Amino acid sequence: MASLELIDIRKSFGNVQVLHGVTLAIERGQFVSLLGPSGCGKTTLLRIIAGLESVTSGSVRIDERNVTDMPPEARDIAMMFQSYALLPHMSVRENVRFPLRMRRHGTRAEQDQRVQAALETVQLAHLADRMPRQLSGGQQQRVALARAIVSDPKVLLLDEPLSNLDARLREDMQVELIELHRRLGLTTVFVTHDQEEALSLSDVVVLMNGGRIEQIGDPQSIYESPRTRFASEFLGSANLIPVSVGEGASGLQALLPGGETIAIAADTQPRDKAYLVLRQEDLKLLPLRSDVRGDFEAFVETRVFLGARIRYVLRTADLRLKCLAPATDLFAPGERVAVQVPARMAQVIAA
Amino acid sequence: MVKGVPEWLKVLSWIFVALTLTFVLGPLVVVAGVSVSESQFIAFPPTGFSLRWFNAIFESNAYVQALLTSLRLAFAVTVTATVIGAGAAIALHRRRLPGTAALAGLFLSPLILPSIIFAIGLLMLWSASVGAVSFPALWIGHTVIAIPYVVRTTLAVLADSDPFLEEAARTMGAGRWQRIIYVVLPQCAPGLAAGAFFAFNISFDEAVIALFLRTPDLVTLPIQIYNQLEFSPDPTVAAVSTLMMGLTVLLIAVIDRLLGIQRFVGN
Repeated sequence: MASLELIDIRKSFGNVQVLHGVTLAIERGQFVSLLGPSGCGKTTLLRIIAGLESVTSGSVRIDERNVTDMPPEARDIAMMFQSYALLPHMSVRENVRFPLRMRRHGTRAEQDQRVQAALETVQLAHLADRMPRQLSGGQQQRVALARAIVSDPKVLLLDEPLSNLDARLREDMQVELIELHRRLGLTTVFVTHDQEEALSLSDVVVLMNGGRIEQIGDPQSIYESPRTRFASEFLGSANLIPVSVGEGASGLQALLPGGETIAIAADTQPRDKAYLVLRQEDLKLLPLRSDVRGDFEAFVETRVFLGARIRYVLRTADLRLKCLAPATDLFAPGERVAVQVPARMAQVIAA
Repeated sequence: MVKGVPEWLKVLSWIFVALTLTFVLGPLVVVAGVSVSESQFIAFPPTGFSLRWFNAIFESNAYVQALLTSLRLAFAVTVTATVIGAGAAIALHRRRLPGTAALAGLFLSPLILPSIIFAIGLLMLWSASVGAVSFPALWIGHTVIAIPYVVRTTLAVLADSDPFLEEAARTMGAGRWQRIIYVVLPQCAPGLAAGAFFAFNISFDEAVIALFLRTPDLVTLPIQIYNQLEFSPDPTVAAVSTLMMGLTVLLIAVIDRLLGIQRFVGN
């Protein structure tokens, strides 16, 4: 059963249309990411779900109930803001109790119990009597999270909640969010512009571009089979090479601008104009020797050491390709290498 | 290499500091000095030491009446200016009303409008529409000139606040009144307190409007001082002034202790 349904949502601010008909159904307990570059409409969509923004047309249904014209306070939701939005004049405990108090949720004793449980969930019970300004950024964020889950909302909305944290805290928090979601099973909508975050956290990734849904799918399918140029460039910043697709000696192949051919997956049609999508980590670099057969040759233009991996910028006569290789595949700038492309990794999309 | 401050500039800055101290604090010292003088003339430096003029104030019906009028007025003005100013500041901060900029200008205009013009205008308006001048006329007049201070101090604290707090409160189920009580007013509180303090002081201290809108039964303390000075000057004038000074300093100390006055002066 759909816990949250968006039906042909359109939104204009004055003359500028920011959402061009978004339709989406989210199952109960799913963790869904709205992923896209800034200005793609993902935050506006989240605010429409919350009721903080009205729709120009379309409808929002939460638990089979039409809430399109309901103010946020009447919708059974919780939202975590990018700035955390803790009430500065209230203690941690009072902040977490606030939603229960506003909704007259149970007796005072029951409220205290739920607050305690929510604070324990985010491991902050020992700081319950502190004021928000006495907490670190990471702790403030946990308070905001506790406040969002305390009332057991029908939908939990998260607006780029990890973007203000430093890298390490962010990784810890991602793990905690996954565990929290598994434990509580709240239907969750998460807005982010960070593709890795979206892929690692969600059951479903909704890729948005220019106020439309570009592609929906589980993380693996959306990563491995991007259907559009935008999707392939945004997810993993793949290399896009203009090719033509034709029948070769051993099945379909893509003809590169330099005349090389690369075998590709069978589920495409021959056509004159297409893009070959080569993700950076799918290119295999090998030393150029007589016993090594690559799909094409290139020379290393730049090498960037990233720790566990190395990013190479490769050059052929006609192409410039980025490649992520394991740190063990060491080549010097200027060196010539053979490049192998596993056929199942070579996707073709329409130009 | 940074050059040191040249000698002549140092001298100039010391002169500047000395002049500032002289003209800011000098008059207050003179008034306080005269108030404890034994002489029955207003003369500085004082001769001898006596508290008889302070005694005389509290034995004078006119002074006590004027003090009560001033206090009553200042409290009433504090309440109205704070309530109206807070509402105006919150509305201006949200920028949802049409013509927010024009309204902001209107609310702040008493700061730059010469108060004598406002006083004359209010007197004519009141006479034409209501009739004889009375307490409410003065109350309204002082409220108008006190509102800008409340608006400014409240806007200052609102500008520092998280703009998403109210939206967050909505997603937590808080309706309009709950948001005002639990979110908006607590945020405004320091600004309101400072604004209330300014409002009280402005009304208590104001002389121009009070001069135009006075009647025999409606004389504030500054006007009583003025009357006394004009018709039978004696050191009671200085004693009253010293008391007013003391009260103001006390208020500043209290407010500063509670809120820190500094953050409102800069804005």
